[in-house]
Amino acid sequence: MKRYDVIVIGAGPAGLSAAVQAAEQGMSVIVFDENEKPGGQLFKQIHKFFGSKEHKAKVRGFRIGQQLLEEAGRAGVEVKLNAVVTGLYMEKEVVVKIGGAMEHFKGDSVIVATGAAEKMVHFEGWTLPGVIGAGAAQTMMNLHGIRPGRKVLMLGTGNVGLVVSYQLLQAGCEVTALADAAPTVGGYGVHAAKVARTGVPFYLSHTIVKAEGTDHVTGVTIARVDENFAFVPGTEKHFDVDTICLAVGLSPMAQLLKMAGCVMDERAGHDGTTPLCDENGATSVPGIYAVGDVSGIEEASSAMIEGRIAGLAAAAYLGFMDEKKCREAISCQKKALMSLRRGMFAPQNKGRKLMTTEEGIPLSEHLLKEGYVGDEEIGRFPGVRRSVGIHPVMECTQNIPCNPCQDACPHHCIRVGDDITALPQVDDTKKCVGCGLCVASCSGQAVFLLEENYAPGFAAVTIPYEFLPLPEKGEKGTGLGRRGEPLCEAEVVQVKTSGAFDKTNLVTLKIPGDMAMRVRFYRKEV
Amino acid sequence: MTDRTKDPGMFVPEPDDDRIICRCEEITKGEIRRAVHAGMFTLTEIRRFLRTGMGLCQGQTCGGMVRQIVAKELQVPPDTLEPATARAPMRPVEMWVLAREGGEEDA
Repeated sequence: MKRYDVIVIGAGPAGLSAAVQAAEQGMSVIVFDENEKPGGQLFKQIHKFFGSKEHKAKVRGFRIGQQLLEEAGRAGVEVKLNAVVTGLYMEKEVVVKIGGAMEHFKGDSVIVATGAAEKMVHFEGWTLPGVIGAGAAQTMMNLHGIRPGRKVLMLGTGNVGLVVSYQLLQAGCEVTALADAAPTVGGYGVHAAKVARTGVPFYLSHTIVKAEGTDHVTGVTIARVDENFAFVPGTEKHFDVDTICLAVGLSPMAQLLKMAGCVMDERAGHDGTTPLCDENGATSVPGIYAVGDVSGIEEASSAMIEGRIAGLAAAAYLGFMDEKKCREAISCQKKALMSLRRGMFAPQNKGRKLMTTEEGIPLSEHLLKEGYVGDEEIGRFPGVRRSVGIHPVMECTQNIPCNPCQDACPHHCIRVGDDITALPQVDDTKKCVGCGLCVASCSGQAVFLLEENYAPGFAAVTIPYEFLPLPEKGEKGTGLGRRGEPLCEAEVVQVKTSGAFDKTNLVTLKIPGDMAMRVRFYRKEV
Repeated sequence: MTDRTKDPGMFVPEPDDDRIICRCEEITKGEIRRAVHAGMFTLTEIRRFLRTGMGLCQGQTCGGMVRQIVAKELQVPPDTLEPATARAPMRPVEMWVLAREGGEEDA
């Protein structure tokens, strides 16, 4: 039986971070992962992450995965792939199926970072081919280059449902609609808004009645539900789709921890069974830690910090680090973690219905119920201003911990301030030169450049654009509003791409002057 | 603790009783509901009785749904049901792999 100072189970963001941190303290570390590639969900994430510089904000998820793998390599972490952990026994014995053999390992500490699995819901026809998890759709598109279907209905408006809907659009699928049994959009408003502006309708308080088809999905019927989630007769809507994506939540894969005898927490509100952990991720069994989604569903950014904390805690537990140094290092990580766990979507706000932003501005009702900020609502947010000359318009309307726009502007026009969840403001005294770095830096694609006096009677709006093929300069199409409604003719006057934009292209549209505050997307067809 | 004196009442058929819930073992909603009325009040009992969650995916897909169905039938909140026992192997392992553990090549 091989022995390691630390055995990490799961090579996702949490597990790899824990492994790197532990290895940096001089511990011998092995990471097992059942998949053929490391990185967990990170390599499926092609969107830019939120957060601050320390949290690798505005870096696309898969690049964070690449960085993490390189770090692991440098730190001397051994990553064993296609290695299926089948049991975690007494005295931290880990049994792993590798190839055709069951191999036994002993860890002086074990960090469990097994992540989560997609939840499912059942309805008539839910077992038909064509009903898939949103994560599965993402795997097909972003890892294997396969389009999961042509016309898709997405169930679920949490961040997974929203992000995957957008990616389906990017992959060339038609997203027919998003539905959610909840009365309000669950994920970030900015994620919803970038889907809505392409013209995808949102059906809140709606869920699936049935999937139609005999040997595969050929359609879906949704209907409104009342406050007890019972169908309201007569509200059925049918869509011709060949794919139904389910994004109805994640549940932690905590079976190994339960098997190891860790005390589990079954409280309502938790997304499934999670281990009871102290603030460093230590479970009730000394030397066993749980980090990332397995200890409670959160984002990859916080999972990485949790991993680092547990790696440090394990180092102190085994005497690789003195207690005092460990405490200092952990408190540094915790500060970063706390800054991520703030704002409207923080764990402590789960299930609470907020009415206003931290600034006291009423939240957009349209955004919560239909996925876009209404034309009559947008003006009340501090990033949205009108002025002479080119200037940024930041349609950032919810308090989320994110501030890359502030650092992006070389002329310091944009201010978020020390409070990372504050809504961005435009500083009038600083001169915008229209470089567009703020537009490309916004992970939520919520920043636009506006030039209201572009030409007599015409304004120019610069939008972030992440679809292929790119529009060409000189072509004419349709300017779409925030809910994707066709508004006017739009002429493409500039298309900017740059390495610094990291694949967020900047498309500048010439539109009638009165459409300046309304056009936020472009479609080639007139 | 599971309340053994609980009377879930008569089994009342529902139109979607033939809907498959555990795909791996092909167990329907009706079978799960009937099992509750036959006295299976915990997820472990349901699992042993019907084999829900004992197939290829090891309950990854149906676990939550079975819990919901059983809780509804017993009229208790889903999170009051104890989860089924977690035991190895956590993932399906072919018998020949386990059999080789003794060390003999052609066991």
